[in-house]
Amino acid sequence: MKALRYIIALIVGHFTVFKHIFKRPVTLEYPEKRNELNEKFRGEHALTSDENGKLKCTACGTCQRVCPSFATIKIEKEKGEDGKFYPKNYSIDMNKCIFCGNCVQYCPFDAIIMTKNYELADEKKSSLTLDINTLKKNYSDTIINKTKDNRWR
Amino acid sequence: MDYLYSLYIEFLNKFNLPFHLGDFIAMVSFPLLPFCIVAAALIVIVIFLVLMERKVLAFFTQRKGPNRVGPWGLFQTISDAIKLLCKENITPTGAEKFMFNLAPLLAFVPVMVVWGLIPFSSEFDFMSYSVSALLFVTIASIPILGILLAGYASNNKYSLIGSVRAVAQAISYELPLIFVLLSVVVLSSSLNLKQIVLAQISAYPICGWFIFPAFLGFLIVFICSIAELNRCPFDLPEAESELVSGYNTEYSGMKFAFFFLAEYAMMFIMCAFIATLFLGGFLSPFGFYLSEKLISNEFWSNVFVYFEQVFWIFLKTFFLIYCMMLVRATLPRLKTHQLTGFAWKVLLPLSFLNLLIVCLIKGVA
Amino acid sequence: MTNQESTRMKINIGPQHPSTHGVLRLVLELDGEIIKSCEPIIGYLHRGMEKMAENRTYLQYLPTVDRIDYLGGFFNAYAFCDAVESLAQIEVSERTQYIRVLTMEMNRLSSHLLWLGTFMLDMGATSPLFYTFRDREEILSLFEELTGQRMMYNYYTFGGLRHDVTNVWLEKITDFIKKMPRKIQDYENIITDNPIFVTRTENIGIISKHAALQYSITGPNLRASGIEVDYRKQNPYLVYNELDFDIPSAENGDSFDRYTLRIAEMYECLKIISQCVAWLIENPGEVVSSVKQPLLKVPEGEFISNVEAPRGVCSCYVKSDGTGTPYRAKWRTGSYYAVQILPKLLENSFYPDLMAIFGSLDVILPEVDR
Repeated sequence: MKALRYIIALIVGHFTVFKHIFKRPVTLEYPEKRNELNEKFRGEHALTSDENGKLKCTACGTCQRVCPSFATIKIEKEKGEDGKFYPKNYSIDMNKCIFCGNCVQYCPFDAIIMTKNYELADEKKSSLTLDINTLKKNYSDTIINKTKDNRWR
Repeated sequence: MDYLYSLYIEFLNKFNLPFHLGDFIAMVSFPLLPFCIVAAALIVIVIFLVLMERKVLAFFTQRKGPNRVGPWGLFQTISDAIKLLCKENITPTGAEKFMFNLAPLLAFVPVMVVWGLIPFSSEFDFMSYSVSALLFVTIASIPILGILLAGYASNNKYSLIGSVRAVAQAISYELPLIFVLLSVVVLSSSLNLKQIVLAQISAYPICGWFIFPAFLGFLIVFICSIAELNRCPFDLPEAESELVSGYNTEYSGMKFAFFFLAEYAMMFIMCAFIATLFLGGFLSPFGFYLSEKLISNEFWSNVFVYFEQVFWIFLKTFFLIYCMMLVRATLPRLKTHQLTGFAWKVLLPLSFLNLLIVCLIKGVA
Repeated sequence: MTNQESTRMKINIGPQHPSTHGVLRLVLELDGEIIKSCEPIIGYLHRGMEKMAENRTYLQYLPTVDRIDYLGGFFNAYAFCDAVESLAQIEVSERTQYIRVLTMEMNRLSSHLLWLGTFMLDMGATSPLFYTFRDREEILSLFEELTGQRMMYNYYTFGGLRHDVTNVWLEKITDFIKKMPRKIQDYENIITDNPIFVTRTENIGIISKHAALQYSITGPNLRASGIEVDYRKQNPYLVYNELDFDIPSAENGDSFDRYTLRIAEMYECLKIISQCVAWLIENPGEVVSSVKQPLLKVPEGEFISNVEAPRGVCSCYVKSDGTGTPYRAKWRTGSYYAVQILPKLLENSFYPDLMAIFGSLDVILPEVDR
């Protein structure tokens, strides 16, 4: 009896939809509540420094060579007092970055990391090009707060 | 109704106005205050219904509905209405201006008229005629004309297709509705809606309700009213994924709001109609009224009974609306020839069967 | 003749539309309610994926490959990795292979869940969309824990993976697949025997065996027509020959069969995932590749690698000339051929059937346009 099977299926279907009102809603009320992210999350970049506050980056250019979008990372080298190279200017263009994490994965000195900050929208276009000071500051924020929090509350 | 009217005339005649002015004022102004209250009540109910639909659909899918505009999202509809008011009323070039502007009115005004026909309690029975039920069905068919005009008057082939489909659907689903109404009239021997409700009083509390002899008719009327309202699963005229938006594609601003509000008001009224016909209207399911038992003062308990009857009919109506929303959340859409096929080949013969069963039951009992 | 043609209406279902799954333009000729002809116009999402390979090194090209079919990122990444590994003769450890199978099957599950939700939304039922997205959300957060991103994973490398999976993560997967069969049963309760759904999809959009072979259809669309071809069984790659699973198939090739087939495939995915998790918990090993990726130079040659993606067979052809950048990369994806067969299926069918057919073919436009 096909008609009987269909009627039973309709009733069962309605009941299946109905029973969901007894389950807890899964809505996450952003921006008051946010998802918990773990250490591997690929957000905004930061340049690391060692205990003395000096950058670990030696401007070798590996991150430039593995980045899929070419003009993202721009480095200007300079020779320091102790004979080692360090970056005078290091800028990442967030307009072109695809957040693939290649620069972090293949840096030989662990000089660049990606923090958990993903709220990068801003009103000025200039804030989307991260220069060396912002990158240093991202790292110190990460150390102090343990996570880099959002820009606006 | 007559008792209150005579009280009012007595009160006015105390002032001893000349030329029987007291009687004249009473006749003109007596319907006015209830009318304003009732119209305001309809608008408030529609505002609440729009929010209720969104919240209920959200809870069926494990989400929360709108909850930012006011506590529990209560002011969401008001902000939507303000947004629609502030939009520009665009009339497309090549559209028939008179009919384009008339169509939303034709869709909304009959709804307000029909709102008064429903008996909310044994005293709050504002427009009581001997053929109320028939008048209800007649006036409730006028919004379909509004849809036809809307589709024709916008100079848009998609709207025309949508409105023609809507009219075909509405016509096909009217007939089973009328035959089931006929079966209810057989059971109650009267077309007056208040008499239909009073005919459902019986010795045991719920047994007199017409849903029991005419259960098939109840299901048929439920399905037909979903079809009349162009709601899912019968919402091909306004299907978003197929024809942008059907007959109200070209409407923007307040005119669109008219169609939208007319649909929700009609939903409330149709459910109140079904509750009146089958679920005992304003009768309490316990058999006695709670205010008669709880309030000791005789005068106030008599007055409160009327309000309690309003409470019961609202409860039943909202229960039916909840069921309509559950149906909307679950079922996919029907195709055109499936729609009309279903009405003519399945619902119409079933309504005849229902009439036969009801006549047999009435003959035996 | 002219009288006949003047009753026909030309409708453009434009690139912006609430329900074509991506930016596809269909120019339909309608005669009343019947579709007489249909012309799909593609190319609105062309990003030059194949040309991009010629200017980038292998490591630079790898993260962009995820984006060819964003719902099945792991499949495209595996196809490219497999091609390069075969050309450069790089060995892959067994633990890597099991993890690759595990992630690919979870990706297949999430892709089918999204397909189900949007197919139901096209039919008009709004609830299943939210249920499937709720389940898909769990899979995506599991992936985020593993790789760092919800969709563009960039997890495979040439010769291995970026890092290993932890047992904590594998426990979470075990919990997840315990609750999934109940949820898939819920979807079936709402949809499968529903008379409205059945009348709308039965005998609609039938792809005959001959037509399927002529138009090079692959994947679930082919299996629904009765031809049992699945790359995982025919030419087993990775560790599929050690796993125990069935290939569902159907008979008629209509939209309803395609639906039941994908539901059955979801159950099979759960079987494969549980077997992989059981193996991985018992056998630790090495996954990180020993190849110096930024300096990878692939010897001359060409290779085609095939993988059974959720929408068909995804093939990647890589030709290298001995340097660090590929000479040519060509992708063959399954949705392209589904769009090709669409005009044939739509001829002389009713207009509301358009969504029933197009939704059941599971077309995704980035794959078509690349």
